[in-house]
Amino acid sequence: MKRLISAALGLALMAAPALADWAPDGPISLWIGFGAGGETDTLGRLLASEMSETTGWDIVVENRPGGGGMAMFTQLSVAEADGQTLGMGVTMPVLVNLTVRPDEVPFTLDSFDYLGTVALAQVGIIAPADAPYDTLSELVTWSQENGGALVGFDARPQELLMRFVDAETGAGFRLVSMESSAEGLQNVLGGHVQAAFTAGVHIPSMEAGDVKMIASANAQRHSYAPDVSTVQEQGYDIFVDPWFYVAAPAGLPEDAATALADAMRAALDSETMTEVIERTMNTEPGDAGPAETREMLDAGLENAARLFAN
Amino acid sequence: MPPLDIILAGFADALTLWGLLFVIVGVVIGQIVGAIPGIGPIMAMAIAIPFTFTLDPLFAISFLVGINKGGLFGAAVPAILMNTPGTPDAAATALDGYPLARSGKPYKALRIALFSSVTGDTASDIVLILAAAPLALLALQAGPVEVLALLIFAFAVVSGLVGRSLIKGLIATAAGLLLATVGLDPEQGSPRFDFGFFELYDGVSLVAVAVGMLAFAEILRRLALGWTAREVARPAAAPQTGGPADRRVSLAEYLSCWRELVRGALIGIGVGALPGLGSTAAAFMSYAATKKSDPGPVPWGQGNLRGIAATEAANSAVVGANLIPLLGIGIPGSIAAALLISAFMIHGIQPGPLLFETQARLIYGLFGAMLMANLCNLIVGQASLRLWAWVVRAPETLILPAALLACIVGVYLSSGGLFGVWIMLMAAVLSLVMTATGFPVIVFIIAFFLGERFERSLSQSLVILNGDPLALRDHPVALLLLVASGAVAVWMRR
Repeated sequence: MKRLISAALGLALMAAPALADWAPDGPISLWIGFGAGGETDTLGRLLASEMSETTGWDIVVENRPGGGGMAMFTQLSVAEADGQTLGMGVTMPVLVNLTVRPDEVPFTLDSFDYLGTVALAQVGIIAPADAPYDTLSELVTWSQENGGALVGFDARPQELLMRFVDAETGAGFRLVSMESSAEGLQNVLGGHVQAAFTAGVHIPSMEAGDVKMIASANAQRHSYAPDVSTVQEQGYDIFVDPWFYVAAPAGLPEDAATALADAMRAALDSETMTEVIERTMNTEPGDAGPAETREMLDAGLENAARLFAN
Repeated sequence: MPPLDIILAGFADALTLWGLLFVIVGVVIGQIVGAIPGIGPIMAMAIAIPFTFTLDPLFAISFLVGINKGGLFGAAVPAILMNTPGTPDAAATALDGYPLARSGKPYKALRIALFSSVTGDTASDIVLILAAAPLALLALQAGPVEVLALLIFAFAVVSGLVGRSLIKGLIATAAGLLLATVGLDPEQGSPRFDFGFFELYDGVSLVAVAVGMLAFAEILRRLALGWTAREVARPAAAPQTGGPADRRVSLAEYLSCWRELVRGALIGIGVGALPGLGSTAAAFMSYAATKKSDPGPVPWGQGNLRGIAATEAANSAVVGANLIPLLGIGIPGSIAAALLISAFMIHGIQPGPLLFETQARLIYGLFGAMLMANLCNLIVGQASLRLWAWVVRAPETLILPAALLACIVGVYLSSGGLFGVWIMLMAAVLSLVMTATGFPVIVFIIAFFLGERFERSLSQSLVILNGDPLALRDHPVALLLLVASGAVAVWMRR
């Protein structure tokens, strides 16, 4: 028996370095920039449990809510860069804050090393199924003729997108701030607003024939509604692309960065994560690695500057 | 409604040994976390969701529903025994529950709370089962303008109800609303009153304020009392005295509360069907309605059974009704309901208007599990109230430090670090000052909780009405509620 154990131990010791050159010295903390129960939280907790399963590392999820992830990234930027503190957030609030009040934000994009993207939130513009407009352009015309359409939004970039369209067309939109996509859907269904931005929550109501989508607000059309054109395709050169992504404090040792990014990639490619992301977000897992994520954030910063130029 | 055989098959899926096991484990966890200040069923559900991924969807959701339902009764336990509600939902229960426990009848107080909680919950579940879809459509008719008017009505009721004067109540409401403005404003996204702290961008943590003002402040007050009184082995809660009649709740006593139970359940169902108002407000509105009736031999606020029945029936009725918008149209009515949605979604089920057609069997399984959870709540609650009453018979010197630690750990975990603990301490001090100067703490907390929703409804209404008060003519329900708010304030003036 003893021999068996020592043999197994020896095997395990030999096998371990073959899997990864780097292993954490204790548990890894994955900070979530939002409170418990949101999309980021659900995705983050599943990603953590999938990563610990494939690597055997202890990954502890901690919620650090505040300012759409700003509180968490602020703390992350000064955490020790040993690969044992990671943070998951959404691109849009970070890019907006870096654009609008760069002096007040205690970090820049350079304050972090990036591990990769997790998923893209697909944002659509919906209207009641029986509304007399089928596209954003038709909503613009309707708004001009009817003294301003009420449009619900739940994030600043969505509001800016509508203001951009408004500035180009003189539609006279009256923009109503909503707490969430769900509240936007509720107000569209109840007939309290003429259109609203929603991220996925509208799909069942669309299938039931209660609402229709008049545009995709992303740079691409949505996988579940390939016939609905994007805002850009309808002639307004603007989009919003909120990506969920994972970052670490800048200055991560190279082997740690590689090991973590690989572990995250393996977890995202697993059947479980693909399935969950497909079910909750109606999209595939993000496939950007460390370098591509950084490039995407740089491009996003330029897009945000354009959004705010108006 | 789907065919009977599908309904029966759904119920049969739930009523299995495994189904029962998951519900019982959920209820036990819920009652424990509900009773410990600072943790609460919401956090337990959020932590449990990833672990339910590998379970059968029905068991996963039954388990979460069990936690949710158990948590509501659990929160009432410390509210009654020690005047320190586990969550704000139970704050109203302490008004009559704590005096009754203090008079030597803690078992009686806990039992009536348990029976009323289960009654309200079951009534609300039955309404949900029979009428989710039509009620959800009805609730959709309430737009931002109507919600704003309803919130103003709730503030008027609560300000008039609690405390010694309406003016002090209104001041507390205004202060609570002011605290709720901390953080990014919903219109422009510019930070307000953040004093350079990013932690305040999402506003002051609700959990930290609630635990600080309700539980932590009470514990500090008792510690100070114990210090001055120099009593060493004082038990944390009054022990049970008197005969068997003071332990039990007789059928006659239960039935004597029927008006409070029915009214509480109706208020809870109404509030629950509208997304985002919450069970704390429902409990207080029910108590307000009850307080205007004749109290009988025991005055209100001095251990009246009917006062406990009114609040517990109402706050528990919110839970089932919160699922009306969720199952009817796919919109969560509360954080707990939003957590259930994410549990549905990771199992590949999109809540929405087609749910009753595509997943009828699962939905009826869920209904079966909910009814089963109510029964388990009753049985587990009966067993555990002995345990709780036994726990708090331990000396204060043992219980109070443990409770303090629970507050700190719970707030640390749920608000993301020591920052939340500092907020909790400040809230506790504020609470002690308010109590000493006669300002009602709970009014402040309710206004603070609903403040964000109030501000958003106000800004939404201003856009929808185009800034024109005369446009209110198109919103008769809202107009009625606004008039009623004024009338209530005058009526309840003291």
